[in-house]
Amino acid sequence: MLVDPNPTDPQSRGDQYSSSRRAFMKTTGLTALGALLGMAVPFERNLPAGIIPVALAQDTGMDLMSGKKGLVVLGDRPLNAEVPAHLLDDDITPYEHLFVRMNGLVPQTALDQNAENWTLTIDGEVENPLELTIDDLKSRFENVTSRLVIECGGNGRAFFQPGTSGNQWTVGAVGCPEWTGVRLSDVLKEAGLKKTAVYTGHYSNDVHLSGDEEKEVISRGAPIAKVMEGDTIIAWAMNGEPLSALHGFPLRVIVPGYPASASQKYLNRIWIRDKEHDGAKMTGDSYRLPAYPVAPGTEVPESDMVVLTNMPIKSIVTFPETGTEVKAREQVEVRGHAWCGKGNVATMHVSVDFGQTWQEATLEPAANRFAWQRWRANVTLPQHGYYEVWARATDGDGISQPPLSPVWNPRGYANNIQHRIALVATA
Amino acid sequence: MKHLFAMGTGAVAVLALGAGLALAAPEPDPMTALAGRPAGADPLDPMTALMARPEEGTGGEGNVELGGLPDGPGAEDTFYQCVACHSTEIIKQQRVTDHRWDELWTWMVEKQGMAEPDEETKKVILTYLKTNFSSER
Ligand code: HEC
Repeated sequence: MLVDPNPTDPQSRGDQYSSSRRAFMKTTGLTALGALLGMAVPFERNLPAGIIPVALAQDTGMDLMSGKKGLVVLGDRPLNAEVPAHLLDDDITPYEHLFVRMNGLVPQTALDQNAENWTLTIDGEVENPLELTIDDLKSRFENVTSRLVIECGGNGRAFFQPGTSGNQWTVGAVGCPEWTGVRLSDVLKEAGLKKTAVYTGHYSNDVHLSGDEEKEVISRGAPIAKVMEGDTIIAWAMNGEPLSALHGFPLRVIVPGYPASASQKYLNRIWIRDKEHDGAKMTGDSYRLPAYPVAPGTEVPESDMVVLTNMPIKSIVTFPETGTEVKAREQVEVRGHAWCGKGNVATMHVSVDFGQTWQEATLEPAANRFAWQRWRANVTLPQHGYYEVWARATDGDGISQPPLSPVWNPRGYANNIQHRIALVATA
Repeated sequence: MKHLFAMGTGAVAVLALGAGLALAAPEPDPMTALAGRPAGADPLDPMTALMARPEEGTGGEGNVELGGLPDGPGAEDTFYQCVACHSTEIIKQQRVTDHRWDELWTWMVEKQGMAEPDEETKKVILTYLKTNFSSER
């Protein structure tokens, strides 16, 4: 794993990224490229003679990591990076502290921030197929701005035992920026949904890791009933700025409450389907859970895997940072955020005695549906020593976060294990 | 799988049996997963003690020439077969069952367009992956 050793020092951060880039160039350097000969992977599309590895490094988006602060890079190609919990303290997650989940390579249009001639096609089970420019979107539909949690379906995967495949996210593949766009439901009303419409299928122009332009990187979707609730948006801005290259320029979907893979970046088409969408990473065991609980390590037949929809109730402790020293017998504020795929966080509790007793935290109202909610608790540690703060959110249906990983699943999704931090109390 | 575990309803267990599910552990006992667990990599971050891969990292540097893959039979074959599309980071992060490695291989070929090497090389690579990035050993 490539860990940023010194997140507060920009100079060393620069060095870190350039040194990992050097390491990367070795990995995909000429010898490795030699091994590609004979494979159907046309890297040539951006290979000016002599500067092969540089062109490849560019495509991963790794260079853009200089704009991120303190993230832990899990992989450089594809680029995946998570955020330590204490850097997620803001109510509105700033760009520099939003996790990065790339399934493929960053498209050239996004790297160039060039949206000229960009259109969004709405077709399939609609009365009037649409082809909308970004200006059409901005001018023909009501513009909305809201804070919406975006969380990778695999956030928490690192805590499943036995291990499950994919990036080993711990707690930081989540954030709550403020998005601006239009309601997908408004656009679909204009297109006129046919009775046969049951699911959306999202498409984009990002590039498959193999460089094969014919190959879909990812194409997921959501049930029509979900997107017609009105919370799902087509966004062009995050925190008041045009979408960045890493987060989907120029357009993306945000399907709040669902695993972030449904929130397609680099969006150029929404195909309305007459059945559950079957694009890349909709099928097999991608973003799916067993239809019934299975013992850890069980292989489940594909036909018994169902699509993961709502993400479970969850919370994190964002302050203090784990390992912080505090004074015994003095009040300390502990705080963080809570969110839920169903949008109904009900209560929040913390424990400083390993789950033996729990005290209720205050929970601030959500800025809007599907925004994460601030919670705060004052804790007093009785004497000097080692303590853990365990945080547990409960949703409106009485379902709360488990102290250990919830039911195991083959690909390690939807892990809402309680977050714990350490506090060291001094006399 | 002769050892049936209590799953709440017999119907589910029968269904699971009927579907021919294979268990990694022959005698499922949830407490075994909790017994004798190593301490986390960072005593001041209690989450590290809950991770599937408690040592956090790849157990040493590995071979820099091979993207940090640990040396051993099949390391080179694995490197050349696998880095065409992605870096070794996604491989080094894994601690999965043998069956999952077989499944991942098939997924890489069928869905991602990986060119299959000859049978012998495939065997060498899968053995290397199951030896070094396993939840079973
Ligand atoms: C033809 C391209 C290609 C080749 C060659 C390839 N992979 Fe992959 N691999 C992919 C893609 C695409 C993904 C998905 C990446 C993502 O979603 O972040 C992936 C993901 C993975 C993952 C994560 C799986 C998961 O559950 O998310 C592992 C592990 C992996 N590859 C291992 C390997 C190994 C080992 C080899 C060599 C035997 C290999 N890959 C060769 C394309 C390839």
